[in-house]
Order: sequence, then C-alpha cells, then structure tokens
Amino acid sequence: MTVRTRSAVAALAIGALALTSACAEGNQGGPATSGGQSGGSSAPAEAYKPASITVGTAEDSKGPAIPPEGVVKGGTVTMIDRNDFAHLDPAQIYVNTEANFNLLIARSLTGYKRVAKGDYKLVGDLATDTGTPSDGGKTWTFTLKDGVKWQDGTPITSEDVKWSMERTFAPFVTQGPAYIQQWLTDVDYKKAYKGPYDGKRLSSIETPDDKTIVYKFTSPHADANYALAMGGYAIVPKAKDTKEKYDKEPFSSGPYIITSHVVDKTVDLERNPHWDPATDPIRGAYPDKWHLEFGLEPLQVTDRLLADSGADQKTFTFYSSTPPERLQQVLDDASLASRRMSSPSPYGNYYYFNLSRMKDAKIRQAVNHAWPSKQIQQVMGGPAAAALPTTILNENTTVGYQPYDLFGKTTKPEGDIEKAKALLKESSDPTPTIVYAYNQTPVQERVTVVIKNALEKAGIKVVAKALDRKTYYDSIGMVKNEFDLYWAGWGSDWPSGSTVLPVIFGPVADGTPNYSHLKDPALTAEMDKITAMTDIEAANAAWMALDKKIQETITPLVVAENRIATMLHGSKVGGAEIDPQQWIVQPNTIFVKP
Amino acid sequence: MIRFITRRTLGAAVTLVIIAAVTFFLFFAVPADPARLACGKVCPPELLEQARHNLGLDQPLFAQFLAWLTGIFTGRDYEGLGRCPAPCLGFSFVNRAPVWETILDRLPLTVSLTIGAATVFFTFGVATGVVAALRQGRPLDKIASVSSLIGASVQIYFAGTLALYYLVYKNHILRQPKYVPFTEDPVGWLSGLALPWVVLAIIFTANYTRMTRSTMVEQLGEDYVRTARAKGMPGRSVVMRFALRGTMIPIVTIFGVDLGTLIGGAIITEQTFGLQGLGQLSIRAVTNSDLPMLMATVLVAAGAIVVFNIIVDVMYAVIDPRVRLS
Repeated sequence: MTVRTRSAVAALAIGALALTSACAEGNQGGPATSGGQSGGSSAPAEAYKPASITVGTAEDSKGPAIPPEGVVKGGTVTMIDRNDFAHLDPAQIYVNTEANFNLLIARSLTGYKRVAKGDYKLVGDLATDTGTPSDGGKTWTFTLKDGVKWQDGTPITSEDVKWSMERTFAPFVTQGPAYIQQWLTDVDYKKAYKGPYDGKRLSSIETPDDKTIVYKFTSPHADANYALAMGGYAIVPKAKDTKEKYDKEPFSSGPYIITSHVVDKTVDLERNPHWDPATDPIRGAYPDKWHLEFGLEPLQVTDRLLADSGADQKTFTFYSSTPPERLQQVLDDASLASRRMSSPSPYGNYYYFNLSRMKDAKIRQAVNHAWPSKQIQQVMGGPAAAALPTTILNENTTVGYQPYDLFGKTTKPEGDIEKAKALLKESSDPTPTIVYAYNQTPVQERVTVVIKNALEKAGIKVVAKALDRKTYYDSIGMVKNEFDLYWAGWGSDWPSGSTVLPVIFGPVADGTPNYSHLKDPALTAEMDKITAMTDIEAANAAWMALDKKIQETITPLVVAENRIATMLHGSKVGGAEIDPQQWIVQPNTIFVKP
Repeated sequence: MIRFITRRTLGAAVTLVIIAAVTFFLFFAVPADPARLACGKVCPPELLEQARHNLGLDQPLFAQFLAWLTGIFTGRDYEGLGRCPAPCLGFSFVNRAPVWETILDRLPLTVSLTIGAATVFFTFGVATGVVAALRQGRPLDKIASVSSLIGASVQIYFAGTLALYYLVYKNHILRQPKYVPFTEDPVGWLSGLALPWVVLAIIFTANYTRMTRSTMVEQLGEDYVRTARAKGMPGRSVVMRFALRGTMIPIVTIFGVDLGTLIGGAIITEQTFGLQGLGQLSIRAVTNSDLPMLMATVLVAAGAIVVFNIIVDVMYAVIDPRVRLS
C-alpha cells in the first residue's frame, strides 16, 4: 500500500476545489477554507444522496457514452478557473484537476462511466471490460478494444500500454500515483526498475499480442481495475514519448487535441478526428471546441457566471466554488436553481489526536462527545456550506458505505457536555489540558474559539497554538511534535477504504500521514488481511466495519466537518454536474446549448 | 546630449546589475529550495542531487550568479530541461519553460494597460490641474480639488469591483475586460481594456491634478510669466508656452516613475479585472515560490523604472533649455 507524503501542489485557497486525489486536502490546514461566513446561509441544506459506484460489464464498456438529457452537439464551450494544469503528462498526474482535464486528451484501461446523476460504473475505457483477475488477484488480464487510435490514426497497442506503465518508473517522473508500480515490483519501486529508456523492460507486464496486456503483481490486489482508472495511469505512445518534454506536448488518445497552450493563460482544444465515440463509454465529447482560461479568482468566476452575459452564457468552471461573499446570494436566488450545483466534499477531514501524548481513550472519547460540530458548521457558512459526517470513510467514496454515529453528532450536533464530563470522571485526568494546533487563517481562528469554548465547558483546558500556513503540515507531520490535537485531510484514490485507512494509520514517521501516530500491530494485521482479500465486496464491507471498530476501540481522531461546494454554470451550458467522487465538474457530459 | 544619454545609460546598466545581484542573493537566501521545487513530490535524495546539479545549484553562489548573468547574453543549457535562449533570465520550475518566454507573453498586456491608462490620467490630470490653477478659488477649482481628493482616496480593488459589478455584470454596459492584441483587433483592444484604463486613471488622475494645480499656481506667480504678460503676450500663450512648460518638470518626473511602476505590473488592477499581465505573473511566482520567475519580474520592473528615468532626464532637457545648457 502506498504511503504518500502530503502534496504541496494543491494549495486550496478560498473557494477553489483544486485538490489532490489521495492526499492531504490542500495545505491550508483546515476544512473551512471556503466557508467564512459567521452565521451562515439561511438556505436549507440540500439532502445529498451518496454516489453509487458499481463495476460494469463488457456490455457497459461499449461506447458511446450515455448522453445527458437534451444534449446538443457542436459549439465552443469556455471553462474559467484560477490555475492552469501543472502537468499534462499522465505519468505526472495525481491531482484531480489535472486528471479531470486529461479525460479530454488521454484514455486509460478503465474509467468511470456516468449512468445517471450520482450513479457511476467502473467500465473498460480502452479495455473491453474491467479486466479479468486470476491467480487469486495477483494476475490481471486486459484486452484492448478494436478501433482505439492515437491522434495520428495509428492504433493503440498493448505495447503502448506496457510502455506507459514502464515509463512511470523513470527518474523524471516524480508526481503520479505509485500503486501499480509497487504492486508490480516493490515498495521502493524506483530502485527496483529505472524505466524503459535504457532498453530494459519490465517482465511483470506481458503483452502476448497487440491486444492483450497482463499485469503480474507480487501479491493479490482485488481492486487493480479501480487503481488503473486513475488519471496517472492514462497512456502515452511509445513512438511519441519525449520523456520530460511530453509534459508540454502530450499526444492525444482522447476526443480532443490541444491546439494551443499558453501557460497560466489559456488552453484551446479541437476534435481529434481519430477518436471513435463507439469505442468510448465514458466521454460524450459534445462541444466541437474547448477554450479554457486561467487566472481568475473564485469571486471573479462566480460574478461572471452570476451575470451570465454574452459569451459567459456558454461558460462553466471545473472547480471554482462560490466564495463566502456570494454564497448566500447564490443559494437564496431561486432563478439560479437550474444553474447551481452543490456537492459535499469526498475527502476525509479529521482532527487527529496525537496518541503519543494523549494516551487515555476516555479523554479522546470525551473530546468527541463535547465536539461543537454545529457551531463549527455555522462558522463555515451553515448547513448549506458544511456537512457533518460521522465516519472516517467518506460516504461518497466508499463502495458499501454503512453509516454509524458513535458520538451523537446527528442527535446532539452542538456537543454532549454531560456525557463528556462523565467520561472524563472515569479517565486518568478529569481536568486535562490539551494543546490544539491550528492553521492561522481567519476562519480557523474562529473555529478555534468555538472548539476552545466547547471543550472548556466539559472541563478540558485548551491551549491554542497558531501555526504558520506554509509550514503547517511540516509542523504537525513531525512525530515528536508538541501538540495533542490538529486538523489534517485525506482522500481516497478509488472508492474503497483501501487507500484511506492503511494510509492514515500506516507507518509512523516524520512526514507520513499517520498524524495520530497510531501504531497497533493487530490493526496493521487486520488491514493487511483486508488488502489481500480477493472478494472486493467482502473487502469493502470489512473496511467499513474496521472504520467503526477503530473509532469505537481506539478513537484516534474526531471526524471533522465537511465542506459543501456550490458552483454555477452559464445558462447555455448543459450536462454540468459535480462529480461526487472527484468533487469537480467533469467534462464528459458538458454540452453547449444553441 | 549624446554624451549625456550615454552616461545615463551606462549608469542605468550598472544599477540593473546591482539590482540583479541583490535580488539574486536575497532570493537564494530564503529557505525555499529550488531543486526540491523542481524535483517534485516523490524526490529521493539521489534525484534531488541530480536536480541540484541540473540547475547548477551545486556550484558556489557567486558562480551561479555569474552563470545567470552570462545566460542573459548567451543563453543557457539546463540539463534535462532544455535550452534557455538569450536573453535567458532563468528557467521556471513551475512552468518548465524559460521565464523570458512567459514574460514576453505577458508584457504586451501590461504595456497596453500602462499606455492606455497613462494617456487617460496624464491628459485629464494635467488638463484639470491647469483649469483649477487658472480658476483658483472659484467653484471649478473647488470641484477639481474635491474630486482629486476623492479619487486619491479610492482604492483600485474597490472602484474596480464596483465598476465591474455595475457596468459589466449587472447592467451589461461594458464588456468583460479582456486583452486582445492591438495588431489583431484595435477595436477589441480598446473596448477590452477601457474599463481597467478608466479605473486605474481615476486613482492616478488625482495626483496629477493636484500636482499640476499647485505647480501651475506657483509658475503663474513667477517673474518670467509676469514679464510675458507685461509685454502683452496673450494669456493663452503665456499659459501654454511658459507656465505650463515650467509646470511640466515635476509632472514628467512622477510620470516617469509611474510608467515604470505600472510596466512592472499593475498587480491589483490585473488581479481585480482578471488580466494576465506581469502583475499577476509576479503574484503567482510568489505563491508558487517560483524564484527564477520572481527574479525576472523584479528585474523587468526595475529595468522599466530605470529606463523611464533616463527618458525623464532626456525630457528635462527638451522641456527646460537650462538643463541642455548646463
């Protein structure tokens, strides 16, 4: 299992959802970066249905994609956001914004097909289905579809797929996912293999013919088909591989070709004539052209989309969420209903207890009971801006999700002070003092006051320690830090607990995401056992059960409030919706109305 | 005159080298490690060393500075990154491109923004100041003084946001500010930048009005103006040929500095209107810890101020014959 250090690339400033995939949720050190309104919105919270994700069949893997209602082909759609994409080489892609854009120009063996709103299927993208496991999940075989081609019309072969994976081992690749590489070789995969450029090939990937590709892992991995759907495992043509330079000159296997890219300013796309919709169950590719503009703050994006004038009627945003200044207006205006999208974060946000210092589980449970979730929610902007999850695993990114509420967050969201007091009486220290470290942002300052007030009512003295925003993760990432409680975020790479629990409760070392320093051999053994399970459904159920067990028996964290993103799109943009798994507007269903 | 310009140009070149050296050493003194930034997230020690070597960061700091300075004239090769042609001001680890390319891309917008806004604020500022001086103590003077006070107090992010909201988003009177090259579409260039010009001009005009008014009042009381009037020269000629000429010396001085500053990047204006010029580029360089880009933008800004100072010095000689004679 991969243990990744937190990403420094996804700075999540106010109102933007530029997030990493399985990594820390930005580096702001607090979940309330978007919601800054004290008092919150008066708009009622929308009832959200968790996303449904299932594994599709070979039939589901056939193109074309299921069109959204009222779809129209043609026209030019404009996308406006703050940041350009740091990487276009799939091997270097890990953040969701880049993976999302790359859907337009790059294809993978597998991917997610939208069946209906909130209903997704894992299907074969380049492959005819989601792969066939054998040898107890150690071997996975994929067959490429007929008619899949590169932008120059040459067919995509199994050799290209193998090459694409091999090049991710090369020294210049420093950003993408590492799961498959580790499964094929070793945890320290960069030492095990240096990439294909010196002529050495990877024997654990076999290509018996042009259409068949076989991955041979060192251990069973029942969810390899999910892992291969990550943007970082999209393909690169062997014949056009320019190593480092490929990051600036990608060769398309998707429905569009980049015709112009002015870094940090604009990207323009036109149709790839060799992309065949009949081979693609995922991408609708309805507009003829795409024009992407960068450099706009979320407030500017929101104002332009609110005005909905001229060319902005055919404009949308991938990830610029409505900032606090406009949130109430956007939520309260009934005329915006058809242009408004909302979705809770698929990321896990936690206030970790430092178990090296807070050794008594009773005190940790008391903190959980006294936690002022509702008050923090108000600071973040109210129920329309923040949800109150109760589990470690996120309901939107966990297949087989089962809710539980051990600390009464649903029944007493303002905190149960009496229950906390009772637990403290039974603990080793009925009047403990805890050091709470927080990221010094205006919103976090307010959240800290709320936490301090609530815990002190229960008899817990809180010493608040402000940390610098730029070094926040470095400070809390030190094993020998001097704090008892601090926030950090994490998200899954695919909808299963396998990329969450073994990571946030993985090895304890400086800079690793096990911020609670939970070191329990029995837990590690159980996680290893579930990881090795070949029955994916049983594994998903086991992850969910383990989630509850960890909170019940160890309580290493407080599950934090979860932001809800609200975005707008132009009135002549159709098919726009936030992907609940990626928390970003997917390009696959977008179309332009005449 | 040629000797004067040559001397000033050489002085400017020395100033720029000093600025470059100070910027270089200051930026490399900050704790951010360019090699780590270039290396990426999964960066084992051997890769970090390689990145350090590729960027020349394993050399002594002075050697690095010399290499950087030489690169401006000869270009540089960055191992694993490619050739950075002259004038090479460095290689951005974030954009993975020579910084000069990016600066050249952003410069036309900033120059357009500066030229347009400067034309507006210089013309209106000086004209209003002259009128206020000639109507000293009368209602027109009072209106000009109060207006300039209000204008000087308004911040761009306030005026810009209000103007955008009412003129663009709410009432659709003006189009969304956007840069279109003049050579491609002069009308689009004008209409796309009209709003930022006007907003930027509101703030700057006030300074010019106040300064023009006070200097002009002073000039109108000078002996040579009185002499001209006594000799029977028409009032209009006295103002335009004598008083205004004397007034222009301090005005041209601040105009040169303002132009240089704006070329360096009208950061808040560009940010407010979502324009991708040098100002936005500097902000992004700071937030991304993109040191080469930041150094280059600082150098361009400093260069602009130095160049406009030379132009101002030359203008002194044009405006005031005494400078030429001295």
